Amino acid sequence: MFLTQQMSNALLDGKIKAARLQLDEGLSTVERQLGNQPDNGSRLDNVMAGLKARSGPSGLYEVYIRDTRDSSFDGYSTNELRVESIPQRLRDELRRSPADTTAYTFGKLSYVGRPSERGLIVGGKAGQFELYYLFPLTQDQRTLTVVSQALVGVGVVLVLLLAAIASLVTRQVVIPVRLAAQGAQRLADGRLEERMRVRGEDDLAALARSFNEMAANLQDKIVELEDLSQVQRQFVSDVSHELRTPLTTIRIAADMLYENRDTFDDPMVGRSAELLQSQLERFESLLADLLEISRHDAGAATLDAESLDMRDLVLRVVGDIQNLAERKGSKVLLQLPGEPCMAEVDRRRVERILRNLLVNAVEHGEGEDIVVSVGADRDAVAVAVRDHGVGLKPGEGQMVFDRFWRADPARARTTGGTGLGLSISREDAQLHGGWLQAWGEPGAGSQFRLSLPRVAGAELRGSPLPLVPPGAGGRPVFAELEAGE
Amino acid sequence: MKACARGVMAAFVLAASLTGCASVPSGGRVITGRPAEPAEQVDDPYVRLIPVSPRPEWDPAQLVAGFLAASASFDDGHKVARRYLTGTAGGWNPGARPPVLVFADRPRLEITEQNATRATVRASGDRLGSIGADGQYISDPKPVDVTFAVTRAAPGSPWRIGGLPPEARGGLILTKSDVDRAYRTVNLYFFAPDGGTLVPNGIFLPLVNRRDLPGQLVRALLDGQTSWLGSAVESAFPSGTRLRDVHVEDDTAVVDLSPQARSGDVERMSAQLSWTLRQLSEISRWKLEIGGDTVASRGYGAVQPVRAWDGNAPDGPAVPDQPAYVLASSGRLSRLTGDQPQPVLPAGGPLVRPTVSPDYRQVAGLSPSGDRIVLRDLVSGTTFRTVLSRHSAGTHFTAPAFDRDGALWTVETKKDHSWLWVVPRGGPAFRVTDWGLADREVKAFRLARDGVRAAVVVTVDGRAQVQLGRIVRDRSSGLEAGAFLPVSSELVDAIDLSWRDYATLAVLGRKGNDTRVLPYLIPVNGGGISSLGVGALGNPTSIAAAPGAPVLIGTKDGGPGRVCRQRAPRDTISEWTCPVPGADPTYAR
Repeated sequence: MFLTQQMSNALLDGKIKAARLQLDEGLSTVERQLGNQPDNGSRLDNVMAGLKARSGPSGLYEVYIRDTRDSSFDGYSTNELRVESIPQRLRDELRRSPADTTAYTFGKLSYVGRPSERGLIVGGKAGQFELYYLFPLTQDQRTLTVVSQALVGVGVVLVLLLAAIASLVTRQVVIPVRLAAQGAQRLADGRLEERMRVRGEDDLAALARSFNEMAANLQDKIVELEDLSQVQRQFVSDVSHELRTPLTTIRIAADMLYENRDTFDDPMVGRSAELLQSQLERFESLLADLLEISRHDAGAATLDAESLDMRDLVLRVVGDIQNLAERKGSKVLLQLPGEPCMAEVDRRRVERILRNLLVNAVEHGEGEDIVVSVGADRDAVAVAVRDHGVGLKPGEGQMVFDRFWRADPARARTTGGTGLGLSISREDAQLHGGWLQAWGEPGAGSQFRLSLPRVAGAELRGSPLPLVPPGAGGRPVFAELEAGE
Repeated sequence: MKACARGVMAAFVLAASLTGCASVPSGGRVITGRPAEPAEQVDDPYVRLIPVSPRPEWDPAQLVAGFLAASASFDDGHKVARRYLTGTAGGWNPGARPPVLVFADRPRLEITEQNATRATVRASGDRLGSIGADGQYISDPKPVDVTFAVTRAAPGSPWRIGGLPPEARGGLILTKSDVDRAYRTVNLYFFAPDGGTLVPNGIFLPLVNRRDLPGQLVRALLDGQTSWLGSAVESAFPSGTRLRDVHVEDDTAVVDLSPQARSGDVERMSAQLSWTLRQLSEISRWKLEIGGDTVASRGYGAVQPVRAWDGNAPDGPAVPDQPAYVLASSGRLSRLTGDQPQPVLPAGGPLVRPTVSPDYRQVAGLSPSGDRIVLRDLVSGTTFRTVLSRHSAGTHFTAPAFDRDGALWTVETKKDHSWLWVVPRGGPAFRVTDWGLADREVKAFRLARDGVRAAVVVTVDGRAQVQLGRIVRDRSSGLEAGAFLPVSSELVDAIDLSWRDYATLAVLGRKGNDTRVLPYLIPVNGGGISSLGVGALGNPTSIAAAPGAPVLIGTKDGGPGRVCRQRAPRDTISEWTCPVPGADPTYAR
């Protein structure tokens, strides 16, 4: 817009200058040829014939001349020019101003038999004659149009060019970065075979190469570790199996020794046979636990689910444990709901979990009462085992499920726990899609809660029983919740 | 990144190239072009008079002066001029091509009688002639006066013209300068009776509006030839053909004729239209439509160039480098080769003012005393024989000339009497009975190359004048040569003439108060004459011209004759030089 304005000003300035020069020349011609001689129609005609020579087809200008003293006609104009083309304001201006002034204005040139056009009109006086030159501006208009069209065209081209450059930059920089981010995301999701495409020699290619190197190293290490872990598990499993055969033989021998312990003369030998017997039992159960947990590790554990009432399971296990509890001086209290708590569970595994929990509770219960409660809602059933023993220190809520973890390493293994019980229980609970969580507070005892979905494999959203028993509570809750997840 | 850099580079280069173009070239190769036709173009710039409406305070004489001035403006059908008339005279409508009474200057106006509501204004002046409604100008100089009856309804109310003089009732009264300004002389083209050659018919056409010019031209062509040519030529347009429309797009004119034209010969109509339209510089091609349907001509198709139809040229087919003949100083007929005469006849004969037939087979001329016409074959070795002797005592013949058919034309003349003779090839000479200049002395007679028009130098009132007439060839009543009209009033005395081309005569004559005889070029349609060349010529006696060939002048200056030519024949102001010993130059065609 500004450029066009500038250009049109320059064009018009040139035009006006040329027009005034032309008018001066015309005026001097008129003065020279007409001067103060008496008017004679043919002389004015001759002057006009001279002035017209450059008008018309060449399109330079039209001329209008007028003799102010001859009233019988209104002067001469060239070609099709209508005299209305000369605006009254220009005539008035000339009439008012002194003899040698010239004036110009812009106006509309109208013609006989063809459309009018815009033009520049200059006028001047020579004696009694008024002379006007009328310059059509069609050509200038055309020039301006062409130039402004060219400007618009260039603008469009520049915009396109900018867009092309921008898209080029995007393609070259932004898209590779995005691809790298996606690759890293996929790698983080565990797809270790993910690699970035290396293209060209620039910085992004270097980044891609480093990324790929990192991914390859990572993959190697992880595979190595997995292999190692696999070897270890296999080793444990193999050892357990290999130990079984000699253990069976030892067991037969030990049984025989044990049955005949009264026949030994030396009571010490008898005592040893008893010790051997008890330690063999412990060894066997340890071996069984090892085999069980190695089955879990190998993913070979299967769920043998059937629909059971949790209350029956609890009653049975409590019945089994009653003797042990009495021996310890603990009383097992049951809080069972009135209606059946049916759930699809593996009887063997759930009984093992419950037994484990109850044995632990008796062992650590310090002779206090043990409360076993069962809860159920629409989706899940839960069993909570509460003791009032030493409780758990902060952080131990998670550690209790670690293999071979003991609350007090110095403590004698009197009751023959293998140290794998809770680990196996937790694996069993997870096999059901359930949770096994622990809560405890030093001095306040602890509570273990088993939550199972009613339908095997369904996702568990919440538990019918609280993890923290009513009446207890406080800070450690959160730690335990955390541990349970 | 690199591609990005390339893009930025490209943008810079583009910007640099765009800004670099904005400058005027300071050098470069030379572009050639053809100049516009030097002759006055029909559609050259023109000047229009701006009329004024009558003012209430004007007296009757001023009113008539205003009316006469306003008559010269053809804008809007003389709308302004009609405002000068009363209601009763308001039916005055001169139309697009009115008859015109031409005054030499603005007439003197005097009020011969005046009372409160009536006045009579007499306009008196020198009449030059008149232009007929068909555009034909007839020179008729004579002082005349016409009277206007001026009335007004009541004393104090403005005057109006109530009664026009008879000369102005259906036409206009204009001055010569009005006509020069408002009229153009244009040629219409019609066919000579031989069928193939076009004859230009010059008319005066009012230049109402340049845009209307093609329409005016075609309408004038359809209106037919002027009364002057009359039955000497014929038009290919069937009678009743009208112009439906003509418009110009770019440089192509579309001429739409009414359905009557369907019965006409498309090629002949096209030839006439092409030659007529080529006078307009804005038209380079044109298309013929009849009743709105495009009509194609054989040979040029639907869109014809205006420069087509050269076979119908008024000058006949173009002959490049045609030879000039002179009488060498030995008296033998010779052909000019460069500036050297090469004899073509073995011996000199009793011959002056030779002429060679267009087929180069015969040569004819005057006997030295001018009382006989002699002729011989150029190829077979016969001798000159007399084909025509004078019939009356005291007469002599003008220089004879062949027409395109090989017939020989000459005028036997003496003071106040002349007879036109034709000697057909192989036949006996006969006299043209219908001869329009029988009671005048004729100094030269030249038939135009179209065979229809004839230019003569004729003595009128003691002065030799160039006049143009036409030959009517009617099968039943034979030949008629007449309707001779003055070509130019600028030349006061003429000796000899020759047709330069179909539109121009080369004339030896005197202009105004000159004492010397000089060559001039005179356009036959009435335009201004122009002198040819500069420099001394001695005493010129004969002139020869042909289309595209240099004008040759035979001079006699006491001693043996010399033939003069221009140093640069293409340049009309080039100086004369007389290098050829000889006399009486002539061209065969």
